[in-house]
Amino acid sequence: MQSADIKPNLSAVFRQVFSQPSLDIQDDMTAADVPGWDSLTHVTLVFAIEQRFGVKFSTREVMVLKTVGDLVRLIERKTQS
Amino acid sequence: MNYVDLTNASRTLDYSDCTRTVRIALICDSTAQYMEPLFKTLLCQGGIRADVYASAYGTAELEVLNPTSGLYAFEPDVVVLANSVLALRDRYYTFVGDRARFVADQTEIMGSLWTALRAHTNAAIIQTNYIVPNEQLFGSYDDRVGVSFTWAVAQLNHGIAEGVRRRNDIYLCDIDHTAAYHGRKHWLDEKMWLLAKTFCAFEYLPHAVKSVVDIILSLNGKSVKCVVLDLDNTLWGGIIGDDGLEGIRLGHLCDGEAFVRFQHFLRALRQRGILLAVCSKNDPETARLPFRHHPEMVLKEDDITVFLANWVSKAENIRHIADILRIGLGAMVFIDDNPFERGVVRDALPEVIVPELPEDPADYVRCLAELNLFETTSYSALDAGRADLYRIEAQRQLAQRSFANPEDHLKSLEMKIICQRFEAFHLPRIVQLLQRSNQFNVLTRRFNQAQCETFMHDTANSLPVYLSLRDKYGDHGIIGVIIGRVDDQILSIEEWVMSCRVLARGVEQFAMNFVVAEARARGVESIRARYVPTARNGMVKNFFGDMGFRRTNESVEGVIDWELETSAYQPGIHFISVDAGDALHAVR
Repeated sequence: MQSADIKPNLSAVFRQVFSQPSLDIQDDMTAADVPGWDSLTHVTLVFAIEQRFGVKFSTREVMVLKTVGDLVRLIERKTQS
Repeated sequence: MNYVDLTNASRTLDYSDCTRTVRIALICDSTAQYMEPLFKTLLCQGGIRADVYASAYGTAELEVLNPTSGLYAFEPDVVVLANSVLALRDRYYTFVGDRARFVADQTEIMGSLWTALRAHTNAAIIQTNYIVPNEQLFGSYDDRVGVSFTWAVAQLNHGIAEGVRRRNDIYLCDIDHTAAYHGRKHWLDEKMWLLAKTFCAFEYLPHAVKSVVDIILSLNGKSVKCVVLDLDNTLWGGIIGDDGLEGIRLGHLCDGEAFVRFQHFLRALRQRGILLAVCSKNDPETARLPFRHHPEMVLKEDDITVFLANWVSKAENIRHIADILRIGLGAMVFIDDNPFERGVVRDALPEVIVPELPEDPADYVRCLAELNLFETTSYSALDAGRADLYRIEAQRQLAQRSFANPEDHLKSLEMKIICQRFEAFHLPRIVQLLQRSNQFNVLTRRFNQAQCETFMHDTANSLPVYLSLRDKYGDHGIIGVIIGRVDDQILSIEEWVMSCRVLARGVEQFAMNFVVAEARARGVESIRARYVPTARNGMVKNFFGDMGFRRTNESVEGVIDWELETSAYQPGIHFISVDAGDALHAVR
């Protein structure tokens, strides 16, 4: 899956998890930029992303995620392998 | 049962249908915040507003033991003790000493927590057991050695069950059973435990919470008391009215064993005190035939507390059953293979539980068991005898009552009919209906494909019409066939067949209005019809009489001749509109 295909799907997951229908994601976005994105919901987000894209992240992969861009690249890699 | 959806829903719950508020204290050694919203949403769906108190992470035991803790200040109605096997695992592997000692210690700790709770609160206490993990050391030989974590948890679960049995004031939630059903392999999520101390995989968190919620609902009187059953294709395969006693699939015929198995499950429910009722669109005598004469039938008439077989809407019938049994609609579950009937009941009676039934009857038991509708927090010999008591009372009441007017219901169906002359495209289904219909079939002449084609082409003297019905629930397809013949200002009804699925909805009235209008347009003054009795078509014996025809003759064999002066006809009342604008003209 290419970044262009990932973003709309990822955006939908963000909107669902954070209940913000108009939320737009950007590569440099971090938890501080999204209201409600805390350590609790971070894990929910990971679960929702794994479900949507049919991938499984490792513990370490989740732990080092910082920005939306990191997420996009991780999904890109996971969906290619 | 999607975790994210249920969690989001918890923020905008509508409590207007909730009859009470229950204060729930959640004491657990995983992250309670992930479960809290699920409790709120699932309980609200069950008609209960939940106020949830969640212990902070890692404080479970302190909360219970300290009489001035937030837990007791909250004054809970229900305390849920839900410990995670993954938290237990850390303690297990760091425990120094005999493994059996660990099990005994843990059992003892649990007992002392129960005692402390009981000393400080009258709340109902729900204790979940542990998910048995896959950490064997010797494979199946584990049990002989008694050191593996898997073995220890299994032992601990026995200890919990035994302790609960002894005390009588703790409710066990067998969450390991729920996990085993969904698959223990995926139930626990080690990554999510490391990251966030989640009780189990997010995917199964709703199922975990639901197994606790079901107990809370039951404690609050929200339990199913009665299963309302359809008959055809629900208790047996096929249609008793059409296929007859020998034709229905029950027992060794085809998939008939699946229905036997379903009946066994229902019978076991009945013996446990759940009432069984029948609600079927059938002739009352026909509906009872299998109960009386089919050798493979497990359920007998005595097992059925209320038996309603008629042509009235199922929603009306279910309301009637609730009245007779004096139970709430929320205490009823309705089992019907027909999506249309399920939709009607769901729409008219939203409180009634209407499960989506799987297509394959082999899956009926699994579907019903999976819903865990029959959760209870008590059981006594009295429960077992309940069905009999109800049955006697129900019979008394049935004799006294009659039905309310179903007009509003019919209007709400938004029925639309196509009424057209035969077309080649539809002939196969038309012929099939003529061949298969037994109950609503006035002459049972069984015209074949070639004969139907002749009618179709004979525009001068034949009036072959099919009816196709759709409503807001979907398309029923061709549900009626009428064949008329016009000679010298007389219209003779050569055949009139309808599908029983759509009776008592005004389709008969619509069709007769149509036939009379057609007759008048052709200058016909008199319509003649005939009823020829068979073993199964008793329901239409007086069909023409009900439609305003005059009885002109009745033979010793029961053949009845009818006649109607078209000028004297009073149009029947119905709530059906014509589907296509030009449908009526297309007939001529």
